Amino acid sequence: MLTCKQVSNALSKEDYEKLPPLKRFLLKLHVTFCVFCGKFNRQVMESQDMCRCYKQHEEELVAHRPKLDAAKREELQQLLSAHAKQD
Amino acid sequence: MCQEKAAAKVPITPPEQWVDLYGDYLYGFAMSRLRNPDAAADCVQDTFLAGIKALNRFDGSRDIKFWLRGIMRNKIVDQIRKSIKENKVDIEAEDEALLESFWFKYSGIATTNPDPWEFNPRKFYDNGEFWKVFEVCIDQVKDPARQAFVLKVLEDQSTEEVCKVMDITPNYLWVLLHRARTQLKTLLEQNWLNSK
Repeated sequence: MLTCKQVSNALSKEDYEKLPPLKRFLLKLHVTFCVFCGKFNRQVMESQDMCRCYKQHEEELVAHRPKLDAAKREELQQLLSAHAKQD
Repeated sequence: MCQEKAAAKVPITPPEQWVDLYGDYLYGFAMSRLRNPDAAADCVQDTFLAGIKALNRFDGSRDIKFWLRGIMRNKIVDQIRKSIKENKVDIEAEDEALLESFWFKYSGIATTNPDPWEFNPRKFYDNGEFWKVFEVCIDQVKDPARQAFVLKVLEDQSTEEVCKVMDITPNYLWVLLHRARTQLKTLLEQNWLNSK
């Protein structure tokens, strides 16, 4: 069995989905039944689920994000053209 | 077999076209992580220059857009490192008390009784609007908790790397991530419930 501290340490270092299957199982078991750290660490796991899901949806958000302004775009274009000529 | 593999390779887009094709895409990503227009523009420029230098190592296994995005991961870390050097991370008194508390030392958690969510966010994971609000909320999390969150959670850096970049201990990184999660939850509850 894992201790509260072991569960908290594992969750602070890594997304629980990346843990080996047995450790993930024991961790979920602990969090489900532990009256001390269960509520807290369940929220940590839910947060990890949410962030994983956000990253999967990130490509859909591209259109709504800020765009380069014209001056910076021009500056970058010149820089890349100059470097491309050198190579 | 080899010919099939060769045919599946993604062609190299000439760097002269990168600004038009990938400039906004990369800038948007950088803004979502750095929220500072100058730092984000520098990040795109550094990414393009590093991309040109490394172009002979591009293996064509994925679109060059995603390859550049991979390079940009390191540039985002560099920009945050630069900003941390200018504004060193100090432990707040409240955080220091948490690190010294019995509960933290015994169980590694901040509280046994965190506030429950005011709504169930899982219900909205398929809703594009929710993720737009989520991104706005990340922007509003206060530094250095936001920087820790970006490095560790969004850019998948190891605990050791984040601690080195931010010059903090692993325990304090955990506290900062806890702060970021708590703020994000409060912000989501305010912004998402108000947007409906």
